[in-house]
Amino acid sequence: MSTQIIKTDVLVVGGGGAGLRAAIEAGKNNVKTILVCKGSIGRSGATELAGADLTADGKSLRNLGFFGEPKDSKETWFSDIVNQGYYLNNQKLLKIYVQNAPKRIKELLDWGMDVGFSEERALFTSGTGITDALKRSIKEYNVEMIDDMMITDLLTRNGKVVGAIGVDIKTGRFTIFQSKAVILASGGWHKAYSPNAGSRELTGDGQAAAYRIGAELVNMEMVTFCCNVLIWPPCWLGSIFTYILHMRSRADLVNDKGEKFLEKYNPKVVKIGTSTEWNKSFISIASMLEVLDGKGTPHGGVYFKRAVPSEAYEQQVLQFYPGWKFKGVDFSEMGKTLKEGSPVEVGPAAEYFEGGISINENCETNISGLYAAGECALSPFGANRVSAATTEMLVFGEIAGRSAAMFAKKVSGGEIDEKQVERLQEKMLQPLKRQEGVKPVRLRKHIQKMAHEKLGPVRNDSGLKMFIRELERVRVKDFPKLYTSSGSRKYNLEWIETIELRNIILLLEIAAKAALMRTESRGVHYRSDYPYTDYDNQLKEIVIKQVNGEPSMSRRPVVTLTMIPPTGRLPYFEALLKHMKAHSDIGGGH
Amino acid sequence: MKQASQRNIKVKIFRFDPFVSESPRYDTFEVPLNSRMSVMDVLDYIYENLDNSIAYYSHSACHQSICGRCMMFINGKASLACKTIVTEDITVEPPPKFTVIRDLFWTKGSK
Repeated sequence: MSTQIIKTDVLVVGGGGAGLRAAIEAGKNNVKTILVCKGSIGRSGATELAGADLTADGKSLRNLGFFGEPKDSKETWFSDIVNQGYYLNNQKLLKIYVQNAPKRIKELLDWGMDVGFSEERALFTSGTGITDALKRSIKEYNVEMIDDMMITDLLTRNGKVVGAIGVDIKTGRFTIFQSKAVILASGGWHKAYSPNAGSRELTGDGQAAAYRIGAELVNMEMVTFCCNVLIWPPCWLGSIFTYILHMRSRADLVNDKGEKFLEKYNPKVVKIGTSTEWNKSFISIASMLEVLDGKGTPHGGVYFKRAVPSEAYEQQVLQFYPGWKFKGVDFSEMGKTLKEGSPVEVGPAAEYFEGGISINENCETNISGLYAAGECALSPFGANRVSAATTEMLVFGEIAGRSAAMFAKKVSGGEIDEKQVERLQEKMLQPLKRQEGVKPVRLRKHIQKMAHEKLGPVRNDSGLKMFIRELERVRVKDFPKLYTSSGSRKYNLEWIETIELRNIILLLEIAAKAALMRTESRGVHYRSDYPYTDYDNQLKEIVIKQVNGEPSMSRRPVVTLTMIPPTGRLPYFEALLKHMKAHSDIGGGH
Repeated sequence: MKQASQRNIKVKIFRFDPFVSESPRYDTFEVPLNSRMSVMDVLDYIYENLDNSIAYYSHSACHQSICGRCMMFINGKASLACKTIVTEDITVEPPPKFTVIRDLFWTKGSK
């Protein structure tokens, strides 16, 4: 099968919000731009599944004609986000987020995005409402768009990015993109975990490819688990509908013994924290502690029951979700269960990755020609994201598109190293040639389960060390034996999984090592053996970079501007409460 | 959700791999239906436990009826696999008007 070669100025990897926004900006700057997506552009990634709210300071939202709280300001919002992020935020990136949010929202409105309702610091639309607006805009520019293209590796010459190699998932054909600049906007690595709340292609392909060519990854131990995600039955697995319902109408969480357990961990946090997006870390940690204590449900979660009378409950739900419909799914059967007072099984599910490829204010990485934006890049949210990731992808997508276009105009680009391409292709093709060995599905399920147990909402020294040892064993012993039942390259799911597993194993190992190094609890990172937040010694970013084929770990100071970090050490739930209390009195979920 | 008692259903699936054979065939799998499952969940079960070589749109599926890519003919009717709840024996085929790449994976474009 022949390999095709496509030349461009800017290659954008990822068809969610960050990739679309980056491609629009590159196209606007008159450079040849190609946007590739592992699934369907505008119908893949985390964006399509987002709730979806877009955040900005209340005053700016009011100026845009929405509800927005007028006494809010950019400065107040900024300090609230630093508080929510336990001061681990890169404040330079955060300043950009806060300053650019209203502009990015305004243009989506200009491009015809519908808004359902708005609150103090957010307006609500849908994930596809956002991507459809972006798709309307991108038509104005000459951007080539390619679906079902999985970028597997970045190509370099003399340490600089000269393009990328991908697999056309439909045909199995390799495609080489020779590009002056590459923007990674490929999203999170949800599939490393089960359960997760992402769509299926999110396997950290961008982070792993960047790492393999020497890019720095930062804050990889920080993983948000959305709480109250449906885990049973299979048709609802991974849906955040119960999470959303919990925000709109009161529900109780009980363990297998019938005990309401949240109060036990910190009654004050429950009072302030469960009706805002702070709930994700607190409820996920509390739920996981119940499961680890042997009080979980049959499928490893907790029970979710309505806490208001049946009729009132249904009325509150139907007001927002007529017919118990959420996204495209009919939940009326679940409605019946909840109305009769029976519970459904929910639990924490991997939802968002605060860490990622290290970027500066221009979305440049430490590799010449490589840019990153959105969930695959380092976020401005520090140790805990409460503000919207949709706004993040738009703000940094726009910057990455502009920076990469400017760069592409300046440079002449490098030639592809054919030997490099051959080596990469040969490695990827090996599982197709083996007749026996390890099945990709079995290996994936094994590490997904361990990831949830050992690198989930609750971590400790022995669990992390055991997981790291197992990942090393898997990498050395199992991965080289992966084989596919069919030798066909045409839409071969097992083959795609072998390529994804390389990335999943790598990122889990990196994140587990970072989690082991962070001997404290902060934000979404909870260590049961270090249940306190240590401002004196641990307010550092953990940076991971490949040196001589091995991950090299280091710490670097957090980038601060106006918000000076606290000192001392506090038990985790007290630190949580302290940060909650330091939050301004601007209401709403953010 | 209450646990329903387990029973098996028969799932008849259109198979076609131009790499192996010129003509399509049908395979029938027995799948335990012990909870509320969609056609997508049933295909996942087959892929994970019975036949790892089966092809259906899964690699970037949203599982929540948004992406729209898992459209197939289920008992002769165009439906989304993730939206269709299985209650009895089913036959699953690619939509007739499009190009079949392999099994249930199809495309509007050329191969």
